[in-house]
Amino acid sequence: MGDIVVKTKIGEYLVKDGLYYTESDEWVKVEGDTITMGVTDYAQKKLRYIVNVDLPEPGTEVSAGEPIATLESVKTTADVYTPFDGEVVEVNEELIDSPDLINKDPYGAGWILKIKTSNIDTSKLLTPEKYAEKIRAAEEA
Amino acid sequence: MVREVPLLETQKKLGGNPGEFAGWLTSLDYGNPIEEHLATRNAVTVFDVSHMGRYVLKGSKVFEFLQKLVTKDLSKVKENSMSGPVLLLNEDGGIIDDNMLYRVKDDLWLAVVNAPNVESDLEWMLKWREKLGYAPSDVDIQNVTYDTVLIAVQGPKAPEVMEALGIKGFEDLKILQFLWEPEVLGKKATLVSRSGWTGEEVRSHGFEIWTTIDHGKEILLKAVEAGAKPAGLIARDSLRLEMGYLLVGSDMDESTNPIEVRYWLALTLGKTECVGCDKVQEAYEKGVSRFRVGLKLKKGVRKIPRHGDKVYAGNEVIGYVTSGGYSPLLNRAIALAYVKSSHAYIGFKVNVEVRGKLYSAKIQDPPFI
Repeated sequence: MGDIVVKTKIGEYLVKDGLYYTESDEWVKVEGDTITMGVTDYAQKKLRYIVNVDLPEPGTEVSAGEPIATLESVKTTADVYTPFDGEVVEVNEELIDSPDLINKDPYGAGWILKIKTSNIDTSKLLTPEKYAEKIRAAEEA
Repeated sequence: MVREVPLLETQKKLGGNPGEFAGWLTSLDYGNPIEEHLATRNAVTVFDVSHMGRYVLKGSKVFEFLQKLVTKDLSKVKENSMSGPVLLLNEDGGIIDDNMLYRVKDDLWLAVVNAPNVESDLEWMLKWREKLGYAPSDVDIQNVTYDTVLIAVQGPKAPEVMEALGIKGFEDLKILQFLWEPEVLGKKATLVSRSGWTGEEVRSHGFEIWTTIDHGKEILLKAVEAGAKPAGLIARDSLRLEMGYLLVGSDMDESTNPIEVRYWLALTLGKTECVGCDKVQEAYEKGVSRFRVGLKLKKGVRKIPRHGDKVYAGNEVIGYVTSGGYSPLLNRAIALAYVKSSHAYIGFKVNVEVRGKLYSAKIQDPPFI
């Protein structure tokens, strides 16, 4: 399928192929029983320049729908939500000194954390196509 | 309805990232608002601030009329000078807006009003024109916001950009003075003033150019070519916050009076003839229950207090935050807040609650820098 670039009157937003997405603008990469999460290009562009990231301790038990990290931008504060129950196994400590990695490379160096989970259900997530539709609808509202 | 600022396409060509502010679509940043902030403090930036409202007031009774509307004694404002901020109050002394007035001649004044109030300030002025019995021919008010632009060139290196724009005589402008109908890039603009809202207009150099849309486009592009970094509204907000400048709608509104805001810049105490002026004097004499102060968090703290966050002295809630942000110069969060006047401990430490956690902050009278 390839990556999708959603172009609207307001901006251009990259939706990467090979990932799942959430309604709350996170991306999710599934590898075995572990998911890697970050926020989407659309989310970082809406939040704008990020000045602080609060991360959970590895080992923290998390429940689906719960806020697990907080992003502080020049414009607002936003939570990052986990779509599944599980345990935080790794966090991106680079973000502590360089929170703007999320702006520079939201799908790469700006990843936020990894969660080990026993109940991955990708049907609860959005495909790139569905997520691109969601952005278009939000921008045109 | 969201309206695009006239130079939105030009902003985008320069790397602008549009977003919504007060009903306008305009560039909130050009990639990195922290760098835009620092470039304003250390070099020079250019902002398209056309989202601000602009009116032209003409007629034999304009001076008399404005004198009855705003909180400052305008007889002290000289020709080719700006008034500094003045307040429009409701009859209870609550703050409707702060405006900047420009005295061209007795019978020709201009006004710059805040973006959220472009339509409502005009309605308010027209209402009072009728109530006070002025004929439209004696006080003509035109809203020229949608047909003109306002470009701000701000920072220590602003004079280099003004030279490149071919503006003569800007070096002699003192703060709040303006050149009427000067040439910019060989064409007549409405005015060039020594002003801004970044703090650089007082710290180093800040200028604003009021002109037509097409002319403004040329000016914006030429300013960038001459070395000005384009900057957006987020940097404008962090710059004004470092100076402790007040944002209407956030730091003040119709429920706040000018004394508790401590907006001495916008007041001539003792003035009796404006709408709400009597209430200002009453509040001044009776005293107020809360004060606007600044809050400076500890160095390195990037947890940003937002509007409504609570301020504590020990276990006691003593006030709340009205705007907060990150100061790139101080490398920490700063905020404006109202605290009980009994607890306005300038210089002392208090706590501010940000998302459920308490952070130590020092009460300070802005500017923070």
